[in-house]
Amino acid sequence: MSRYRAGPGDDIAVSLDGVCLNYDKTGEVLTDIDLDLAKGSFNFLTGPSGAGKSSLLKLLYLAHAPSRGDIRLFSRHTQRMKRRDLAHLRRRIGVVFQEFRLLDHLTAFENVALPLRVEGQKASMYRDEVIDLLRWVGLSERVDMRPPSLSGGEQQRVAIARALIKKPDLLIADEPTGNVDFEMGRKIVRLFVELNKRFGTTVLIATHDLELIREFNAPMLRLSHGLLAQDRDFGDRQ
Amino acid sequence: MRQTPLLPRGDAREAALFFVVSALCFLAALSALIAQGTYTAAAAWSAQVEGELSVIVQTPDRALAEDLADGIQQLNGVIEVNLLSDEEVEALLQPSLGSGVLAGSLALPLLIAVQADVLVGDPSPEITALMASMSIEGEVNAHSGYTAYVREALRLLRFVAMAAVTLLAATAIAVIAFATKAALLARRDIVDVLHLSGADDVYIAQLFEKRFWVLAVQAGIGGAVAALAASAAIVFFFAETDGIAAQLLPQPDLNRWNIAILLATPIVAGIVARSAARVTVISSLKEMM
Repeated sequence: MSRYRAGPGDDIAVSLDGVCLNYDKTGEVLTDIDLDLAKGSFNFLTGPSGAGKSSLLKLLYLAHAPSRGDIRLFSRHTQRMKRRDLAHLRRRIGVVFQEFRLLDHLTAFENVALPLRVEGQKASMYRDEVIDLLRWVGLSERVDMRPPSLSGGEQQRVAIARALIKKPDLLIADEPTGNVDFEMGRKIVRLFVELNKRFGTTVLIATHDLELIREFNAPMLRLSHGLLAQDRDFGDRQ
Repeated sequence: MRQTPLLPRGDAREAALFFVVSALCFLAALSALIAQGTYTAAAAWSAQVEGELSVIVQTPDRALAEDLADGIQQLNGVIEVNLLSDEEVEALLQPSLGSGVLAGSLALPLLIAVQADVLVGDPSPEITALMASMSIEGEVNAHSGYTAYVREALRLLRFVAMAAVTLLAATAIAVIAFATKAALLARRDIVDVLHLSGADDVYIAQLFEKRFWVLAVQAGIGGAVAALAASAAIVFFFAETDGIAAQLLPQPDLNRWNIAILLATPIVAGIVARSAARVTVISSLKEMM
């Protein structure tokens, strides 16, 4: 099998070796995935529905363990780590979902601050930082509002701010533009690009939107029936 | 700045759980209070009858019986001797035979009540020998023989009370574990977001532990207060009862044991709930993620 490598440089943020995923023995959702994502690279992941995009992302943000194979994040073998250490490693990963996954009973401020609160930081320590980030995503007027009172685009920007608050080393976005309009979708991806350039964050965005991928002209990984395929137009292959 | 709790405030499920835990705490506290009260009453009764003897004299000759009573009074360890009048004997037999039946219709024995010093020993053999020397027919009935049955009954009562409290605690653990698992599944969205935000299992478990600790302590206070009211009502109701039943019923005092039971109820409920929640959350999270 070929090994897919995305991004320049030798420093690898994410490395998958022979990774398979099998939820219930009925068949493999992912088969023999070999992949390297270079540190600071900006990548798209695409493929038809049911191809295994979300499953691959779940493995990367450590919500699931692979059935076989090895996953290394920031040079650490995740299968050999204890649950507590995995939780700490997760703090270096920001995740954005199509359906936002905000906590409706918390304000926009509290949702964004959640990763800091989980770490045990006091609100007084991070207040300015959270407000600045909400301003950066254009929500300075929505700080104390709860998700049900926000529009879809605003909720997605809160979710993005939550994913970015800790300046993650890896940002994973699963169809982040799926529930927002065209313009908002572009704005969101531009935020990711800015983050990538400013902080060197490794970014992987799963999307169906080929037009979006072309517009941003970044390496593309294509999944089909659980197999990672090379894309001649956008992917790099070694 | 006040932060919103990460687990939303209680819903209808928690109100139902509060009721169930309160009921369990009420039953546990009431079992313990009744067991303790009965034990105290029976212990007091046992202590009272420990040194008592009845001498049943099968002779109508009251003068002879008085001589016997004087002789018993001289025996070592005898504190008090009292030859009962016919009215006193009738009063003793009335609960068994009813009123109005005895007067003149039955030949009643003469009874001598003896109070002996339990530290000196049982004077029954000396009394029997004295009756024989005075050619009096009769028998000596040492009440201490009954206390053995009472002690046995108390042991059984204590065991039953402990079994009841243990069973109720086990039920509470099962209920809390079930409720925790249900809450965990109902709040799966929150658990997932917390996980993704870097929370470890212990952090998530602590949220549920805190929630169930507060709920169980409040429910425990409610249950303990209800148990206190119920036991007070029981004591009040039976306080009107005369005779031996009144002596054997729980004592109407709030002694240190009863206070300890009432204070311990919410604390034990809280600890049980917290532990059950912690174990359930940590084991469930391993299955979930």
